[in-house]
Amino acid sequence: MTPAGSLLTARALHKAYGSTPALDGADFSIHPGEVVAVMGPSGSGKSTLLHCLAGIIRPDSGSVLYGSRDLSQMSDAQRSALRRSDFGFVFQFGQLVPELTCLENVALPLRLNGVKRKEAEERSLEWLERLEVGEVRAKRPGEVSGGQGQRVAVARALAARPRVIFADEPTGALDSLNGERVMTLLTEAARGTNAAVVLVTHEARVAAYSDREVVVRDGQAREMAGLA
Amino acid sequence: MTAVDHRPGPTDQREPSGKAPTGLAVWFRDLVMGMRFAVGSGREGWTRTALTAVGVGLGVALLLGASSVPSLLNNRSERSNARTIEFGEQKAPRSDSSFLFHRVGSQFRGESVDGILLRPEGGHPVLPPGVDKVPGPGEAVVSPALKKLLESPDGKLLHDRLPYRVVGTIGQAGLIGPSEHYYYAGSDKLSLKDSGTNRATAYGWRIQSPDMDPVLLVLILVGCVVLLMPVAIFIATAVRFGGERRDRRLAALRLVGADNHMARRIAAGEALLGSLFGLIVGAGLFLFGRQFIGAVDISSLNAFPTDLSPVPALAVLILLAVPASAVAVTLFALRGIAIEPLGVVRSAVPRRRRLWWRLPIPVIGLALLAAFGTVDRKTGSVNTYLIGAGAVLTLLGLTMLLPWLVEAVVARFTGGPVPWQLAARRLQLSSSSAARAVSGITVAVAGAIALQMLFTAVGDDFTKPTGQDTSRAQLQVMLPARDGATTEKMIDAFKDTKGVSGVIATISSRILSAGQERNEDGFPLSTSLTVGSCETLQEIARPGPCKDGDVFQIKGGPGSYVDEDLPKIARPGARALLNDFDDKGNVLGRPSTWTLPRTIRPVDARPDPTGEQNTGLFATTGAVDVKKLADPTARAMVRLDPSVPDAAEYARNTAARFDVTANAFQLMDTSDDRRFVSVRNGLLIASVATMTLIAASMLVTTLEQLRERRRLLSVLVAFGTRRGTLAWSVLWQTAVPMALGLALAVAGGLGLGRVLLGLTGKSGIAWSVVWPLPLFGAGLVLLVTLLSMPPLWRMMRADGLRSE
Repeated sequence: MTPAGSLLTARALHKAYGSTPALDGADFSIHPGEVVAVMGPSGSGKSTLLHCLAGIIRPDSGSVLYGSRDLSQMSDAQRSALRRSDFGFVFQFGQLVPELTCLENVALPLRLNGVKRKEAEERSLEWLERLEVGEVRAKRPGEVSGGQGQRVAVARALAARPRVIFADEPTGALDSLNGERVMTLLTEAARGTNAAVVLVTHEARVAAYSDREVVVRDGQAREMAGLA
Repeated sequence: MTAVDHRPGPTDQREPSGKAPTGLAVWFRDLVMGMRFAVGSGREGWTRTALTAVGVGLGVALLLGASSVPSLLNNRSERSNARTIEFGEQKAPRSDSSFLFHRVGSQFRGESVDGILLRPEGGHPVLPPGVDKVPGPGEAVVSPALKKLLESPDGKLLHDRLPYRVVGTIGQAGLIGPSEHYYYAGSDKLSLKDSGTNRATAYGWRIQSPDMDPVLLVLILVGCVVLLMPVAIFIATAVRFGGERRDRRLAALRLVGADNHMARRIAAGEALLGSLFGLIVGAGLFLFGRQFIGAVDISSLNAFPTDLSPVPALAVLILLAVPASAVAVTLFALRGIAIEPLGVVRSAVPRRRRLWWRLPIPVIGLALLAAFGTVDRKTGSVNTYLIGAGAVLTLLGLTMLLPWLVEAVVARFTGGPVPWQLAARRLQLSSSSAARAVSGITVAVAGAIALQMLFTAVGDDFTKPTGQDTSRAQLQVMLPARDGATTEKMIDAFKDTKGVSGVIATISSRILSAGQERNEDGFPLSTSLTVGSCETLQEIARPGPCKDGDVFQIKGGPGSYVDEDLPKIARPGARALLNDFDDKGNVLGRPSTWTLPRTIRPVDARPDPTGEQNTGLFATTGAVDVKKLADPTARAMVRLDPSVPDAAEYARNTAARFDVTANAFQLMDTSDDRRFVSVRNGLLIASVATMTLIAASMLVTTLEQLRERRRLLSVLVAFGTRRGTLAWSVLWQTAVPMALGLALAVAGGLGLGRVLLGLTGKSGIAWSVVWPLPLFGAGLVLLVTLLSMPPLWRMMRADGLRSE
């Protein structure tokens, strides 16, 4: 049974890499427009939880419900299509495609979704400007600073107007000033589009931008007391 | 003063610094450090070193193979000379070690089966090389390949022709190659009276090889350049595997105090170790691969594993040049990169590639060839150095032009679907690795086009029409006919042989004038007499009406041998002797008189199926008693039924049943120069090896690039990128430089080909030999892309996103 109004719900997720368990009965849910921080020590399984929630990997057991659809029952092609249309991603080092310009990077998810190049780039430019990096649109990732690159990555995650954004240590490679600016822009933009944000971090300072926190430890996810 | 006062400070704890190394010592220190990094940076480092070693190893194996060609040819030639039996005009005296021999040549399903019949004359006959004991009558020692063939089900047919008991095998010393079908058979019937039988007392003859045709020299020279340049390019590519990750490691070194030069030397050290391992891998591959060289047999061009031994000087050159090239290539590759201590390596401001210094290289090459590369077929002089240098410069120039061309073209790419955009942007950011990957095939295709143009143009010079008419007969058998009856039986036997649809059979001998008249040499007047049916006569003359008992005087056609004695002998009612005469002109044996019929009439000759214009007298079988002919020779030209498999083999077996020394040879419309065929086949084998290497090179390069981008691929998968999108992107990334490379190859190949044709005094372009080569290159790209798909699929997993 899914919590009322929940957008994405995971139940009793199990995932092991070889003989090492990464998730051991983890539960999770998130509502539209909600920002949930997933915290935990290194190696606790938080990134694995994010990958399962996003349909990047399939759990060994358990279910991930997106609306009424169970991601764990969907084919690879169906999950890929879902990620293209409904999900957005931000990673620790941005992971922008180095040979594309910043504008082309932001437009990439839209173009993968079949949006025409011109329209995709127009919409992407709006996002770049909204994230205060419009001036780097013609530059390649190698030519911009880390903070600028991460904002471009956030713009890329938001450009396709996803319903869920998965952010894995989005400020991990940034100084505190840049990190805070990126978090402000990410959460504001997400809330502005009513997108849910699954925010994996080990920094309390970053988690502070969330509406509630979930701690992953020994492969299980627990709600932090006193929050939400 | 307290104890604390005596405690040494941080600076005091340092070891006294020795004299800093300089010059070569610095190089040595940094190279060794780089070599340590190559193996000491975990799995990643080992993988990179292993990839480099395999890549360099493949190239080294080919280079070692190429450096073995001189000794291979020399060894084959020496063994061939060692088993050649020397005999001269003067018959050797009979002795304890002398022997009679008769060479027998045959073919089995297109393969030569050659042998020598031996008859020792004393108790201690000399042994042929590779043979322990002279075979007795009815016995044979055979080559291992022939033994295998005879023992196989296929060999049953051949066994009828070689009905010997195999008592041993011929060792390597007695064979030119391992797949040669050769034998020595004992015979107690050989006699010096038999034509083709001679006496000898030793094996071994030093034959001075005639000078090679200068055009063939040019072909070999250009072929070597064409085949070895891609190998050199491949080695240069292989030592740069894993460059991006290495660059990041170099940045970290800069952070801890390494200067720019030191970082470059350390990088060179990493490549050096890879190339040293490559030498070991290459030597291993070469030694392993040469075990199978015996299985390679193209037009009887095969060798024993031990024949494939590199020329020591060339092996040393490879040993030194490959590691030195690895260091040089790495330093050259890093010249445009600024390694900074912070962050990752940033490319120095990319400089646009300039055409002005690239274009002159192939132009100078072509100019050298055109101006100085003269080939004088009369004197046999070829300026090998200038032709070699011209070809190298031309092909090297193409590899220099390619990066410029790729950069200039891809810079104009805009728009397009996502896979195209990904590929185009990737090429725009870094086209050098893509250009490097295809430069090998560019050189190979350009060279192949030039060579094929040359081969086609000069092919006619080396392929001569024989004048034989294979539509009328396909096999000719010559037999010494001891008597006419046997000959008639032989002809009947051919007619009854499976797969034989017709026989043109004749019995030939010489007849003498019965008069006392002598020619200017003092010998009796003589002419040839050919006996056969009217049907046979139709094949060698244009007789008009013919009935059994008729005799004709065949007049040679224009250009044929003029038999001056013929008109004096071939007179109606004249008497002739069916005897031979000795070397003093004395008639041998009791005179056997034959009176020519009064109806004898002259007829025009017609070339027989072997192309020969017969002259002399032709008698139908009813006109002369063949049993009375002196030392007759039977000849059968056999027409085979193409619908019967092995028809030629059945006919050869029939001939062998009558006489094991029967010489049966296949008629052919054209004959190829053996050396030309050898060069063509040699280059074909080498081309296959080079193309395989190029395909391997492209595959390894593609995989290497994919491996470097594994994490990025995972991110793209996370976005939901379709596999097809990335597959197309990979295809475009390979196909665009390849298309440009092939276009350049066609242009360069045609240019080089035209100049080479000019050297040999030829002109004209055979387009039919040009277009298959770029198509082959395109097919190679498709194959490499297909082969790179499974690893791409595996890399398109989210595992790459895991950092823990």
